[in-house]
Amino acid sequence: MSFLTISHLEKSFGVTRVVKNFNLDVEKGEFISLLGPSGCGKTTVLRMVAGFETPSAGNITIEGREVSSLRPNQRNIGMVFQAYALFPNLTVAQNVGFGLRVKGVPAREIAARVEEMLALIGLPELGDRYPFQLSGGQQQRVALARALAPKPQVLLLDEPLSALDAKVRVSLRNEIRAIQRELGITTIFVTHDQEEALSMSDRIVVMHQGVAEQVGTPFEIYNTPATRFVAGFVGTLNTLDAKVLDPSIGRVKLGGNEMTLGRAIPPGEALLGLRPEMLRLGAHPGEAALTGTITELDFLGSVIRLRIDLGGQPLAVDLFNTTRQAPPKVGETVSLALNPSDALVIGG
Amino acid sequence: MTRAASWAVLLLGLTYFILPLVGMVEFSLSMRRGEYSFDAYAAVLADPQFRETFSYSVVMALLTIVFGILLVVPTAFWVRLKLPRLRPLVEFVTLLPLVIPAIVTVFGYIRLYNTSSWLPLTGTIFGTNLLLMFGYAMLSLPYMYRAVDTGLRTIDVATLTEAAQSLGAGWVTIITRLILPNVLVAVLSGSFVTFAIVMGEFTMAALLNRPAFGPYLQLMGANKAYEPFALATIAFIITWACMGLIQLVTRFTKHDKAGR
Repeated sequence: MSFLTISHLEKSFGVTRVVKNFNLDVEKGEFISLLGPSGCGKTTVLRMVAGFETPSAGNITIEGREVSSLRPNQRNIGMVFQAYALFPNLTVAQNVGFGLRVKGVPAREIAARVEEMLALIGLPELGDRYPFQLSGGQQQRVALARALAPKPQVLLLDEPLSALDAKVRVSLRNEIRAIQRELGITTIFVTHDQEEALSMSDRIVVMHQGVAEQVGTPFEIYNTPATRFVAGFVGTLNTLDAKVLDPSIGRVKLGGNEMTLGRAIPPGEALLGLRPEMLRLGAHPGEAALTGTITELDFLGSVIRLRIDLGGQPLAVDLFNTTRQAPPKVGETVSLALNPSDALVIGG
Repeated sequence: MTRAASWAVLLLGLTYFILPLVGMVEFSLSMRRGEYSFDAYAAVLADPQFRETFSYSVVMALLTIVFGILLVVPTAFWVRLKLPRLRPLVEFVTLLPLVIPAIVTVFGYIRLYNTSSWLPLTGTIFGTNLLLMFGYAMLSLPYMYRAVDTGLRTIDVATLTEAAQSLGAGWVTIITRLILPNVLVAVLSGSFVTFAIVMGEFTMAALLNRPAFGPYLQLMGANKAYEPFALATIAFIITWACMGLIQLVTRFTKHDKAGR
C-alpha cells in the first residue's frame, strides 16, 4: 500500500468542477510535483490534502489512515506557502519552534530542534531576527524549517519559489530537494514552472482542467508525453500535421517531406511532435531528412533558435551556439536530420 | 500656496484648537484671586466623590476594554476569514451606536432587563454594572471594530491562519498567539478610545444610577465654578496620555513592519 493515497478526489465550487476524479499513489520519501497552468486545480488538490478544502468526493489516506474528515491541525502535515506566511510577531526561532510549542513539547527539546532546523537551512545565526529583517529567500528557508520542525508525515509546498527572483529560485530549489532527500520526507510540490518540476521531482503529475493528464517521471513526461496538452505544456514542442502513407512502418508525409518512423502508427492523419533540440542541420546517414526555409533566427546565447517553414507548417529548431560554425541565414533553404525514434506520435 | 501662506494656515488651525484649551487651563488655575494656583485641582482631588467615581469609571473602562477585545477581535477575524461577504452588514451593525442615541438604548435596556423581566439585571448592583458595561461596549463598538478591522487588513489573515493550522494550532491559539499580537497596536488604539468614551459617558451611567465619572462631571459643572475646568483639564491629560501611549507602543513594536 502506498504511503499517501488520493483516490477519486473531486472538488466543485458551485457548479464548477475544479478537480475531477483525481487519483494518485505516493510512496514514502517520494517527491511529487503537481504541474499545470493557472486554474488547473493543482493547488486545490494540495489544499484538500492539507485540509483547507473539503473534497466533494473521494478519499485521502496517509499511512492507511483516512484523513479527509480531519481538521488541518489534526493531520500532521507541514506546509510551505508562496507568501512565506511567517508569523510577524515571532522571531525566526519562535517561528520554527511554533509547531512544537503547540504540541506541548518541552522547551529544551524545542530549542534543540530549532537549532537543528536552522543549521539544516543554513541560517544558524538568525534565530533572534524577525521575519521582516530577512530576505525573501531567507524567509522561505525559515518557512521550510518551520514546516519540518514538528516532523510531519507529508510536506506540502505551494509554489514556494514563485515570489523569489530567478537566481535565488534556482539555488533554493536545489536546497529544498537536498533537504527533502536528506530527511526522506514525502513531498508534494505545486508549481506552474516546468523547469522546477523537471529538475526536482521523482514523478510529475501534469494537470489540465482538473484532470491528471499524465503521471510519470520527468524523463517520461518530457520524452513521451501522453496527450497533446502534456506535449505542448512541458518543454517546447513542434506539432505537425502529417498524412500517414503506410501505417505498418510509420511512413508519413509532412510539409512536402516524407519520412519513415520505423514503427506502426494509426492510419489516416497523424499529429507528430518534434522537440526543437532533436533536429540537426545537414544530412546524417540513417536519419530522416526534412527540408525547409529559415524564416527567423533568434540568438539566445548558448542556443540559436531557427524558425523554419516546412511546407507551410512552422518548425522551431534549436542549435547549440558554437564559434566553429557560422549560423545559417534567414531565407536559406536547409536540410534537417532527425532520428525517427525521436518523433512523437501524439494522441489525446 | 507659498510657504508663508502654509505657515499662516497652520498657525490659524493651531490657534483655533489651542486657544480654548489655554483658556480652560488658565481658568482652572485662577481659583485664588489675583494669582495662579492649583487650588481647584486640590479641591477636586480631595473630594472623596471624585476618587470614588473616577476609580469606578476606570474599572468599568478596563472591563469594557477586556469585553470589547473578547467580542470584537474574534468577530472581526472570523468575518474577514470566513464571512467576507457579510462584512458590509457587520460594519453597518457596528455603526448603529452612532445613529441610535444612548438614551434610547438605555431605556431599551431598562425595559428589557428590569426587575420584572425574564433577565432582571437591574435588580442587583452587579447586574446593573454588567448592563452598563455592555452599554459602554456597544457605544465603543464603531471605534473598536474599525480599529481592529484596519489592523487585520495589514496582515494576511488567511495565509497566517492556514500556516498555523498546518502546524497544529487550534482557533484559540491562532487568535491569542498570532492574530491578537499582530493587531495589538490597533487593539490598543480601540482600547484607548473606549477608555476615553467610558470616562466621559453620562447618559447611561446617570439613567442606570451608577456612580460614574460622567455624572460627577455634570454635577460639578452645575454646582461649582473652577473645579469643572480642573476636571476637564485632568480628562484631557488622561486622553493625551492615552494617545502618547499608543505612539509609544507603535514605536516599540519590533515586528511592526513584518508580514505586510
